[in-house]
Amino acid sequence: MTPSTRADAAKRLPAPILQVKDLQTQFLTHDGIVKAVDGVTFDLYPGESLGIVGESGSGKSMTALSLLRLVPDPGKIVGGKVLFRDQDLMQISDEEIRDIRGRDIAMIFQDPQSSLNPVLQTGFQIAEAMLAHKKATKQQARQRTVELLKRVRIPAAESRVKDYPHQLSGGMRQRAMIAMGLANAPSILIADEPTTALDVTVQAQILELLADLNQELGTAIMMITHNMGVVAGLCTRVLVMYAGQIVEQGPVDQIFENPQHPYTWSLLKSIPRVDALRHERLRSIEGLAPDLLRPPKGCRFHPRCPFRVEKCLTDLPPLTEVKPDQLAACWVTMDRAKKEMGADQLLDIRPGAASGLEPGKIIP
Amino acid sequence: MFTRGTLIYIGQRLVLIVLAVLGVSSLVFLGIHRLPGDALFSEHLHGDQYQQTLHHYGLDRPLWVQYVNFLAGMIHGDLGESLVNRGVPITPIVLREMSVSAEIGLVALIFTVGIGMTFGVVAAIRQNTWMDYVLSTTSVIGYSMPNFVIATFLILVFGIWLDNFTQGTFYFQIGWPGRYGSIGAIWLPAFALGFPYASIVARLTRASMLEVIRQDYIRTARAKGLREAVIMVRHGLRNALIPVITILGPLVIGIITGGVVIENIFGIPGLGKEFANSILNRDYNIVIGVFTGYAALVGLANLGVDLLYVVIDPRIRY
Repeated sequence: MTPSTRADAAKRLPAPILQVKDLQTQFLTHDGIVKAVDGVTFDLYPGESLGIVGESGSGKSMTALSLLRLVPDPGKIVGGKVLFRDQDLMQISDEEIRDIRGRDIAMIFQDPQSSLNPVLQTGFQIAEAMLAHKKATKQQARQRTVELLKRVRIPAAESRVKDYPHQLSGGMRQRAMIAMGLANAPSILIADEPTTALDVTVQAQILELLADLNQELGTAIMMITHNMGVVAGLCTRVLVMYAGQIVEQGPVDQIFENPQHPYTWSLLKSIPRVDALRHERLRSIEGLAPDLLRPPKGCRFHPRCPFRVEKCLTDLPPLTEVKPDQLAACWVTMDRAKKEMGADQLLDIRPGAASGLEPGKIIP
Repeated sequence: MFTRGTLIYIGQRLVLIVLAVLGVSSLVFLGIHRLPGDALFSEHLHGDQYQQTLHHYGLDRPLWVQYVNFLAGMIHGDLGESLVNRGVPITPIVLREMSVSAEIGLVALIFTVGIGMTFGVVAAIRQNTWMDYVLSTTSVIGYSMPNFVIATFLILVFGIWLDNFTQGTFYFQIGWPGRYGSIGAIWLPAFALGFPYASIVARLTRASMLEVIRQDYIRTARAKGLREAVIMVRHGLRNALIPVITILGPLVIGIITGGVVIENIFGIPGLGKEFANSILNRDYNIVIGVFTGYAALVGLANLGVDLLYVVIDPRIRY
């Protein structure tokens, strides 16, 4: 996809197909409440591909699982709305949501090795998705399974149908998973880190396949990943999540070029570069992702942020429009950080280093 | 499912079973002849008469000669004749008793797996509810009670109390009416034999099911929009069965050998009853025959269990 078509795609936004409003998912543990998803709001447009990025534990997978009410115990969706075709997926009955799963909104997962049932034939597991929604007779389902396997470019599809998952390679298993996701021609495909367990060349093939399917079938793809490269290669828009919240969202080109949240900025800075000098150290983000049992006060990123100011320690910044189509939740924003704190020349990335609000100087 | 490799495997196992049976009967042959007393002990024969009888059965010859003769008979499937009930050939007796024991064992196994799996699956799906507690407690009681206690209790309740209470309208037949028994006569001993093991299967199924329903492929099945019952049975149970089959081997042996006690309590003419009688009578040939029968049953049962793996888990191929 060229940058110009991508920008166009981001601009012409029809009515959203899925609207998520203030979604909250919590885990009740012995130690307290973990707010895994804390007030997430976003829209998904038909046929677009939306990336959700964040590090492990940022709540991106839980957001996706919450949409289909697949949150594992002891997790609970405690608030918010997910509007899909004029109904709130959080309010409809178990039977109604069951019928939407896999038919209108399909989901594929990380690690196809463990996500496919080892004792059932791969083809059957794909056909099952159609039979569950009475989309086809057994005969038709079998036929369409072969077509799907061809569609996801599995060689010798006719004979692979009867193979068990352990007889397929990692890449083929993920292709089979994608075939399963596409079985009922859903309008939304949620892909939860589908390339994480695969080696790099296979990753590229899978991403290419997803991009093609997105283009040809018009299936909206929600791509959950921790890999900025995947977002750059596949998505038109991106949400950046941190500690259960969205910290920045907007068109991919715009955000890659000009990130406004220090977290997004740090993530992009920490991508290893081929053209970097040998002795140059790999950039990372100082500190650890916050403990969601006791999230920090104020902005959740402030304990790791080089640009934090006094206000960040006490007040949670709201997600506001900082540029056309681009939203960020930051009191400072990178424009100001670059102008006033010399972010572009910054070498010291310890918390508070650029703003002079270093750990020792914080008055509790 | 069964490839050519599997058939070769079955052939190899059958050869091994034959060798094991020969080994077991040889050990028993040597062991039983070392026991004090002999088959003619209870007949109080004296002098020449005693010597003549010994000579007639070849029991006065050196042990190794007897052993060679015994082996020769074994290879032809002839276990000799009874020393107590003179002239009665043993092979047909052992075969008939084997079928009786296998019949009870099989029904016991159906109880074991049926009750065990149902309890286990329900307890796992309803984890930490009253149903789970009731079923888990029943399981603990089940395997804390030896089979002879259950057997005695069942006879008391169904054979005596029920009979007395209903003035003889309802009662359960205790014992063995015909050659193959009857449903009425078989289910009490089979239950007594199988229930302690059902408890083990229940606990194992519960634990294994709890692990399986947290697997990624169960989440995939949910994401596909399958019904919960389909997810649990088609995707859950089949995977949960794999560890259960592992325990099935020792368990089948337990059921077969547990039959010795149960058959004696219920008065069932199976291998188990013969086992006790023949040792007390020092009826050498029958003792060896019974042990041979048991060895064959255990060997075949284990082969059956190992073949079950192939049916349940496509990753296992022999």
